[in-house]
Amino acid sequence: MEALLGGFAVTLTLDNLLYCFVGVFLGTVVGILPGLGPLTTIAILLPITFKMDVTSAIIMLSGIYYGVAYGGTVTSVLMRIPGEASSVVTCLDGYEMARKGRAGAALGIAGIGSFVAGTVGVIGISFLSPPLAELVIKFGPAEYAMLMLAGLTMVTYMSSGSLARSLLMAAFGLLLGTVGSDPLNMTPRLTFGILALGDGVNLVPLAIGLFGLSEVLFMGRQKLEDMKVLAPPTGLLGFLPSREEARRSVGPVARGTVMGFLVGLLPGGGAVLASFLSYGIERKLSKHPEEFGKGAVEGLAGPESANNSGTAGAFVPLLCMGIPSNAVTALLLGAFIIHGVTPGPTILERQPEIFWGVVASMYIGNVMLLVLNLPLIGLFVRILDIPRAYLAPMILAVCLIGVYSSSGNPADVVIAVIFGFVGYGLRRHGFDLGIVILAYVLGPIFERSVRQALAISDGDPSIFFHSTLSTGFAIVAVVLLLLGLWPKRRAARA
Amino acid sequence: MSRLGGARIATLGLLAAASVGLWQALRLESWGFDGPGPGFFPQLMAGICVVLALIVLVFPGKAGETEGGDTEDAEATAETRRCFAIYAATLGLLAAGAMYAGFVVTTIAVTVVIVRFAERRSLTAALGYGVACAVIGLVCFGWLLRVDLPEGPIERAFYTFVH
Repeated sequence: MEALLGGFAVTLTLDNLLYCFVGVFLGTVVGILPGLGPLTTIAILLPITFKMDVTSAIIMLSGIYYGVAYGGTVTSVLMRIPGEASSVVTCLDGYEMARKGRAGAALGIAGIGSFVAGTVGVIGISFLSPPLAELVIKFGPAEYAMLMLAGLTMVTYMSSGSLARSLLMAAFGLLLGTVGSDPLNMTPRLTFGILALGDGVNLVPLAIGLFGLSEVLFMGRQKLEDMKVLAPPTGLLGFLPSREEARRSVGPVARGTVMGFLVGLLPGGGAVLASFLSYGIERKLSKHPEEFGKGAVEGLAGPESANNSGTAGAFVPLLCMGIPSNAVTALLLGAFIIHGVTPGPTILERQPEIFWGVVASMYIGNVMLLVLNLPLIGLFVRILDIPRAYLAPMILAVCLIGVYSSSGNPADVVIAVIFGFVGYGLRRHGFDLGIVILAYVLGPIFERSVRQALAISDGDPSIFFHSTLSTGFAIVAVVLLLLGLWPKRRAARA
Repeated sequence: MSRLGGARIATLGLLAAASVGLWQALRLESWGFDGPGPGFFPQLMAGICVVLALIVLVFPGKAGETEGGDTEDAEATAETRRCFAIYAATLGLLAAGAMYAGFVVTTIAVTVVIVRFAERRSLTAALGYGVACAVIGLVCFGWLLRVDLPEGPIERAFYTFVH
């Protein structure tokens, strides 16, 4: 509790409050704009944080991540357009409620449910992280290697594409992570004699290319269609749900919050999976399943809560184990590393001000989001009026600033452009690029753990099965691979 | 081109990249006196990549839902194709501009190409918006936030003036 209060002292400075506000504001805007997800935004803004204090930088980037879940609700309810993947389910019943004249109540339920779930999720981080960090500190290289293998396998299993494609993306990301100097003895690897590759493929040009520049290419082939926006309420009272709607929301919000947080802890979990699972559970538990898809309050309240607590849950493995559970947290891990901080079990002992500062900022960020989301919805909706003609050059200019400022090397812009085309080609044909980034960020840590373990055992691979933990992680990886190969299971999940 | 065909072409690209990576990795020492060498992991990953790419080539499987992306093959009209080609060209312009022209010229050029030629807005609007983007970027990021921007004669003159 004392540590958390210390975290509030870190966050409640003018600078950090401002960065927190900028983060949640940008997150909300990005959530509203269809196509521009948190991954692209964090990738673009990452270099701008280089000259900031590390805590401020992570506070702002985290704010973008959890702010997106709120912003995506607005377009889902008023336009039936999910601003972000985790808001897809909200379209089903949120938009139908809006069509029945209950837009304000839908936005109010979503906003309040998101606030409750986000806050409970942060409380979960506060209480779960210290004991988890104590457990992880006992891990050796073999346990770490197997944990990462299990995590990567789970991410590929959770991916919506075929198992072979997902595994190919993971291997491609791990291979990209080996370009540059060997992390143990600095031997140049896979550089093809190109000087610009001496330090490897940097995270910023890779992420901006794969997500930011490929997004601009997608904009170039989009058909422009008129979008119909339902009017949001004008006064604050318009957002209040009726007594009956409030009563029907309580259970789904509670279930969505708990389930979303637990799903967020899993590698490959997070907001998207949490919202879909919550929708399924609510439909199963409902006495009126026939109302789902026609404006059921439960179908809105559950998923909206789950996607927010799922986002919070994803911070636990990131902060305590240094293992990202999805592509966005992988970028956040990259941000930590670029700032010279390695998240993991020791962060609580060595840099508690960063850990608790970020956690405390989430409490404050959730309050800011509630205040931002209800009265300013009308203003946010107008963001959708920005035509593509003006949005695309703006994104390109910010990408240019982002890539160049990360290293001061114009060759990185060329690398980003190459990955822009690679990203466009792969995304267009259904390859999941989130896995590439996740594997790329985990690659060097994974490689170091594997090589250290093999060096300790003098090349004997049985070291990976000496402890119960590492054997358990290996079994999880094998079981997931087998499940992924089972066509019926994958078909049902799809 | 069918989507399946496109997926196979994308996989062929990955196979080529992984094969070249494997060829380079095989030149590195895979095992040294103190355990796995610098070539151990790249050889392993490139090998796995080649095998998986071959599997996907034979069995492309189900396409995933990619974030922000779009796996649907929209009916591309001539106008859509023209627009996309110009957007793709601006990425080349971005890379060349960062190398040789500096931030301001690159931003204006990219904006004019997109707004005027891809989106068919007026030249005045394109130029005005391009100059606005360039000035905001230079002043806010380059000067106030002290972010490194690609430098050309305009940036150097501006920094000399304000510092």
